[in-house]
Amino acid sequence: MNEYLSQVNSGFFYLIVALALTFMTVMCVIFLVKSYRAGVKLGMDKKVLKKTITSSATFTLLPSISILLGVVALSGSLGVPFSWLRLSVIGALQYELNVAEIAAQSLGLPGLKVDMMDTGKFVTVALVMTIGILGGIFISIFFLKKYLNKVRSKPKKENTSGKPGFGAHATTAMFVGLCAAYIGAYIGQAIPRAGSDIMPLLVAIIAAIVMAVFEYFIQKKGKLVLENFSLAASMLIAMAAAVLINMVL
Amino acid sequence: MENKEKFFTDFNNGLHRLGRVTLVAMVIILGTIPFVMSVYFNTPIDGAGFWAGFAKVIVVYFPVSVVEFLVYAPMLGVGGSYLSFITGNVTNMKIPVAMNAKDIAGTEVGTPEHEIISTISVATSAIVTTLVIVAGVILLVPLQPVLQNEALLPAFNNVVPALFGALGLKYFAKSPKIAVIPLLLISVLCIAVPSMISQTSILIIPSGGLALLIGFLLFKKGKI
Repeated sequence: MNEYLSQVNSGFFYLIVALALTFMTVMCVIFLVKSYRAGVKLGMDKKVLKKTITSSATFTLLPSISILLGVVALSGSLGVPFSWLRLSVIGALQYELNVAEIAAQSLGLPGLKVDMMDTGKFVTVALVMTIGILGGIFISIFFLKKYLNKVRSKPKKENTSGKPGFGAHATTAMFVGLCAAYIGAYIGQAIPRAGSDIMPLLVAIIAAIVMAVFEYFIQKKGKLVLENFSLAASMLIAMAAAVLINMVL
Repeated sequence: MENKEKFFTDFNNGLHRLGRVTLVAMVIILGTIPFVMSVYFNTPIDGAGFWAGFAKVIVVYFPVSVVEFLVYAPMLGVGGSYLSFITGNVTNMKIPVAMNAKDIAGTEVGTPEHEIISTISVATSAIVTTLVIVAGVILLVPLQPVLQNEALLPAFNNVVPALFGALGLKYFAKSPKIAVIPLLLISVLCIAVPSMISQTSILIIPSGGLALLIGFLLFKKGKI
């Protein structure tokens, strides 16, 4: 068994993560109770409030399983406790993996490779992942009150063109650029020469094919429920394929 | 009506106070964990590696955080925003949950009723997610020897290509006109200069910037 993985899966980390998540859950319960009571005081129907709780709980179940699959995918590189923490607080799978890769490269590794990781690199990667994602939190601490008050007091502008602004496309464009950088690098890496490696490109292609199948059923056949699993399942299938390809190659 | 407005303003001010305090506490808890790990392993954090990684991450993700904050906060309201930004999975979980709750309760964004419904839905969602993942993690513990088996090493070594293959298909299909040029340029660069292959953390900056520029030009011309 890999010594690094045994260390990052120690019981002590499970305990720390459990304590942090307990704090977060208590925070959620306080917000829930306060809002429920405020709703009752404002004269809202208790049935509607209760229905909101039950429907939100059921609505969340499937996407939660998808996040759990993300924990499985991440746990092989960063251990279960840290993956559990990162996908439960602030993060999302896309962010975590990309940042872990960036941090690993900044430490001189070719990428997030389990067999090249040790606890020293792990703590640095963990710190980059943690601090790097706090932007939204700091913005909320300092600007949320001012921003929401401003939005509330401002009369709604009529959108005469009926078209969303560029902001709606900016995040998509940013992610297109992100994906292009990685896929382009995998294409370069696959060119036969010293140090070449075709595996990342093959795994990316398999993940894309599986995702295309999911997209077909979601977009063309209206199976919207699959949207909850498409990313995590595509990744896990492609990762399983990597094991088989490794045996063949 | 006036009383209702006053009650709601006081309630929101209370949520802002509570939200800020808990967010600061959470930042301290999260920020401390890597240092606790460092002490536990008796291994120092690589300062140069941290700053190099952090600088690249902040260039890419800080603008994304700002856009998400500006777009999502009005949809989520006070309580919903604090909870969503701390519990994460905003786009793929909290926004759909809040919008689903809005439809069920029949509330309008910006009203006190919507703020209450949004906070309740996001809090419930975060609690359920935590419970599901806790159950999953408990099940994962006995599977550790399997997950750490050497035979699975190629799978976990290729988790990043698996992510970007799947995400790439999704985003390229959504915006093929934006994708073509950055993809071609980066591919040609990595074929011509092999040392760039292991520098994706740097490549994402020009590639993201170029995609943004192309997206903006296409938007101005009304082509997206």
